[in-house]
Amino acid sequence: MPAAVHLDDILARADVWRGDALAAAPQPGVASGFAELDAELPGGGWARGALTELLPTRTGVGELSLLLPALAQVSEDELAWVVCVAPPHPLHAPALAQGGVALERLLVVGAPGRDAAWSCARALATEGVGAVVAWLPAADATLLRRLHLAAEGSRALFFVFRPGACAATASPAPLRLQIDGEGEQLRVSILKRRGGGRPAPLSLAIRRPASLAAAGAQAQPPAASPVARIGAGRRAAPPAASSDSSSRPASPHALACPVPAAPAARRAS
Amino acid sequence: MLWLALFLPRLPLDARPDLPSAAACRPPQPRAVVELDRVLVADEAAQAAGVVPGLRLASARARLPELVALPRDPAQEAAALARLACWAGSFTSEVSLAPPATLLLELSSSLRLFGGVEALSARIVNEVLAQGFSVQPALAPTPLAAQWLAFAARPAAAGFPAVAECANNAYFVCRDLAALPLQLGTLPLSLLDLGEDRQARLAAFGARTLADVLALPRAGLARRVGAGFAADLARALGERPDPRPRFAFPEHFREAIELPARCENAPALAFAARRLIAALCGWLAVRAAGIHECVLELRCERGSAATPALTLALTFAAATRDPARIARVLDERLARLQLPAPVESLCLRADAVEALAGQTTSLFAAAGSNSRDRSGDTATGVAELVERLQARLGEQCVYRLVAVSEHRPEKATQKAAFQLAQRAHAKRRKATPAGAGEPAHGAVPAPAAASLGARPLCLLPEPQALAEQGGRPQRGGPLRLVAGPERIESGWWDEGEPGAVGDVRRDYFIALSARAEWLWIFRSDAGWFLHGLFA
Repeated sequence: MPAAVHLDDILARADVWRGDALAAAPQPGVASGFAELDAELPGGGWARGALTELLPTRTGVGELSLLLPALAQVSEDELAWVVCVAPPHPLHAPALAQGGVALERLLVVGAPGRDAAWSCARALATEGVGAVVAWLPAADATLLRRLHLAAEGSRALFFVFRPGACAATASPAPLRLQIDGEGEQLRVSILKRRGGGRPAPLSLAIRRPASLAAAGAQAQPPAASPVARIGAGRRAAPPAASSDSSSRPASPHALACPVPAAPAARRAS
Repeated sequence: MLWLALFLPRLPLDARPDLPSAAACRPPQPRAVVELDRVLVADEAAQAAGVVPGLRLASARARLPELVALPRDPAQEAAALARLACWAGSFTSEVSLAPPATLLLELSSSLRLFGGVEALSARIVNEVLAQGFSVQPALAPTPLAAQWLAFAARPAAAGFPAVAECANNAYFVCRDLAALPLQLGTLPLSLLDLGEDRQARLAAFGARTLADVLALPRAGLARRVGAGFAADLARALGERPDPRPRFAFPEHFREAIELPARCENAPALAFAARRLIAALCGWLAVRAAGIHECVLELRCERGSAATPALTLALTFAAATRDPARIARVLDERLARLQLPAPVESLCLRADAVEALAGQTTSLFAAAGSNSRDRSGDTATGVAELVERLQARLGEQCVYRLVAVSEHRPEKATQKAAFQLAQRAHAKRRKATPAGAGEPAHGAVPAPAAASLGARPLCLLPEPQALAEQGGRPQRGGPLRLVAGPERIESGWWDEGEPGAVGDVRRDYFIALSARAEWLWIFRSDAGWFLHGLFA
């Protein structure tokens, strides 16, 4: 009697794909650092050699923090370079270092307009570049397709940030994520992926600078009508820990009333 | 010993590089070099119209009115030959000139490095052709035999045994000294560079090929034709030593090239500059050196002092002598260049040369590139990327970030020029990052994360004023203060300096907007400001 072949064995083969499952990626992905997200991404993480399009509703919701674990892994564990192309605001080095990115293998390219796409293509073609993060607000479908083809020849992660309004238009990117903030969580909806299916939006606990729970319900500014004047001779406050923010209204550092602007502050504005 | 002779039959013409733009927009103009009113060398287009060497200029003009007749310039020919000799330094250190138009390279010590004699000679011939020279190569165990074989050029069709093919160009290959008489024997005497009277005398003997001459008794031959000819035969056959003077590589590299026509199109200069770059790289290889910077001067309008030479400084992130890499950077620069006046000549010079060891290949032949040192490999790959980006975008647009331990956030991030990682690592304690101001000498790799409050990933270049309503900062609705304050103050020491932040007194808060943006805002004497985004 021939040995029974289990259906599970057949389904486990690489060349058998079930319509309700995710497609297998040609190269294993880089873990995103969020198990819920990895489970939904083909290849079990951010895809190498493919364009990943990220559509944050607005800057500041935590879109770059979402990538930080993967970037840290690429730059610290794989000793590969991370290239940031055309960031809309200057990147702050201490924060990147806190996020685990090795600054000695980080390259920033401030390229305006069409040069940004060219810089991405050049970076993707370079041996030793592990991740390319680009902000291309003006990219059209043709340009994205060209960049995706450029990415296919490399092993690098390739993330492109575009405005959230682009979610309605078609894009050649095999993976598209819409990103929005939701309190302390980050809400990630997968608009498009290989393998079909459109899972429910994920709520990811990304690293936030402070926790809302510790801040408590206290959502008040330091004082309704600030009175104290910032003393020049006073010592600087210790770095803010979220725990002492609850005692803030009573602290001696309560904020100044709107006094006429001091010269230093006027320069800052 | 294995000598590769490169005979350049059209050197008087090829010494002036043809500009590709001229060929692209018009049908190629036939050109010929004329000496003493007779055509010396003509290019293919001219030859096809019947302009053959030896023709009088008047007859040539009658056959081909649009012929461009160039006067012969022996100085330029010698310079072109010397440049080629420099370039040949990338393959062997034993380079010898055989004027007027032959270059001799001794290859036996380079065979292993370049993967065998076929691969090496094919590569050399291809690179000569790529520089725009037509060439007749030949390989032989003695220099004189190689010279003769190269001069004889096309092997007789009658099944010459040892012939290699390269770029549709068959050429003589003879590696065995014992087989040399047989090989040389097939050469007709008329092809050899002998004097008229010697040719006539040998013809009177009934000798038409070298084989006929070699069959004659050597002593009698020396008496009747001259000792010089017999000695040449002995040298060619390897019976007598044939020491050749080595080409003396110049002490400083400064090579100029005259363009055949004034050029107004910057990208078209790249082709002419290729020759200079090739020569530079060969010269560097001989010295086991590399360059961080070289300067290309574009000289406009001969003799007019009003337009000074335009200088392009090509800088490289790491010492290099890779011609493709130098050419890539040059192409990017030329593509963005507006020429103020037509260019007449190019001059490439390398002032600061530094030692650069060659690449070590692995002891055990490895199939893949895995055996290569990965970290060194990636660093040079990224260095090349930085050079290309800088050449196109400008140097200030491509930078690394350095975290400086400094309490004022504006000063905590500094831009640093790209350095190779190993060097940056070794010098980290001492080096001042380029582009950093005076406090950078206290630069530390990254402050301990615990000692610092949360910092935003994006910092606005200038704080943005926020509206205030009822004592609460507004940005699309009132902001909710999540954490804070973190007092950052003082900085009187650089007050008044240009570009400095100066004295500050700020209380920083982490705020969450109604639109779910995480913001870094501060309160100062002047009110609320947005300073960063926790992107």
